[in-house]
Amino acid sequence: MERSKQKQMNQNENETDAAINGHFDGRVKIPGWSAGGAAGNPSTAPSSSVMESWREERTRSLEDNEMSLPSIAAAYTTILRGLGEDPQRQGLLKTPWRAATAMQFFTKGYQEKIIDVLNDAIFDEDHDEMVIVKDIDMFSMCEHHLVPIFGRVHIGYLPNKRVLGLSKLARIVEIYSRRLQVQERLTKQIAVAITEALQPAGVGVVIEATHMCMVMRGVQKMNSKTVTSTMLGVFREDPKTRDEFLTLIRS
Amino acid sequence: MEYQKAAELNGLCKGKIVTEYLCRNGFSELTVDSKKVSVQHKTEASRKEAEDESRLPALEAAYTTILRGLGENTDRQGLLKTPLRAAKAMQFLTKGYHETIYDVLNDAIFDENHEELVIVKDIDMFSLCEHHLVPFFGKVHIGYLPSKKVVGLSKLARIVEIYSRRLQVQERLTKQIAMAISEALQPVGVAVVIEAAHMCMVMRGVQKMNSRTVTSAMLGVFREDPKAREEFLALTKGAQ
Repeated sequence: MERSKQKQMNQNENETDAAINGHFDGRVKIPGWSAGGAAGNPSTAPSSSVMESWREERTRSLEDNEMSLPSIAAAYTTILRGLGEDPQRQGLLKTPWRAATAMQFFTKGYQEKIIDVLNDAIFDEDHDEMVIVKDIDMFSMCEHHLVPIFGRVHIGYLPNKRVLGLSKLARIVEIYSRRLQVQERLTKQIAVAITEALQPAGVGVVIEATHMCMVMRGVQKMNSKTVTSTMLGVFREDPKTRDEFLTLIRS
Repeated sequence: MEYQKAAELNGLCKGKIVTEYLCRNGFSELTVDSKKVSVQHKTEASRKEAEDESRLPALEAAYTTILRGLGENTDRQGLLKTPLRAAKAMQFLTKGYHETIYDVLNDAIFDENHEELVIVKDIDMFSLCEHHLVPFFGKVHIGYLPSKKVVGLSKLARIVEIYSRRLQVQERLTKQIAMAISEALQPVGVAVVIEAAHMCMVMRGVQKMNSRTVTSAMLGVFREDPKAREEFLALTKGAQ
């Protein structure tokens, strides 16, 4: 597939760079890694807008949050009235503000960029065995119904001389999950972020989640879970590696 | 009996306004005051199902404002119809305002000479926190000691549905379910236990993943007699 070929190209280019330069400087070394946070990969990515949209790094600042809070709170007051509730009763008096702040918290992934989180925690380590961080609790919002999604993320990667601080994997999950998301896109974004940061031999991400939009409404299937996975690099090519990863996250 | 007074008032209550609906010692007290606004009874059937459609545009516009305020691009493919879907979802999640207990229960109360504990447990419950508009969900266990009248079992689950599909506080939800059963059946006692996880605590704020909130309402013999309460609690603890 086009995508895996690109990844291999990137990895080949960067292996030599990493050998020359002991220190990894994310801003300079990775081709197409956009430090300014604009749409991602000008030189190597295909230019169709469908591919680009999920790479977009939207940034929102704390001032933006404060400025938009009143209008979001007013919108919530309209919603309360539209649902037949009385926004003046004691329990609902401050609900528009609380709900607006809560919604801003649930989408705080838009305020952060991967580069801010990762830059310091990439270490040169002569380790080339699989590293797995599993059972990372994940909470996201369904972009279609604005209802929570929650579940667990399991991440594994085969480092290529560079390892990442373990909590940074969880932080990557946080940044991408605290947005209006689709589970498939979330899985891919996490995998690609790790690939671009570390150029590992392979990355595998599995997400198992419950969608409240299916449980609380619509079909109302209480026990259904959605599982998505993204396998890049050697996880995609070598079935044994993939097997090892899947067995280890299951145990 | 106070119960019957409450039931009568409930039936006639649609035009009137009830202020406080307290529960002391297993009996209910009501005060009717035309000036104040109530919490429970004003919202009984405060929304007609037929009006839902006409209210959608306002809700949609509100959701569009929210999406823009969050910094999202409302023209992207995934978000194009999201305001409409979110508005309908929210109306569904608060559909308890459409219905009254009497619509649901009236036909299914039977005279049965049964005086032993009846329990319906592990009823899945989904509600919305009225403070943050974020879901909370869990299980409801209901038990009652009938006094010559039993109710269809699924009607207990329907009572849970009516009261939970609203903007709720877990304490109030528990009490409303217990009071509804008391009024409808006049049983010897009613016990309701709810164990729920609140997303407003799990997804934000303190972020404690595994915390659960348990509330209970014990009326009648379940409040007075510790043995009855023990029996109920032991039977509901069974297969969790």
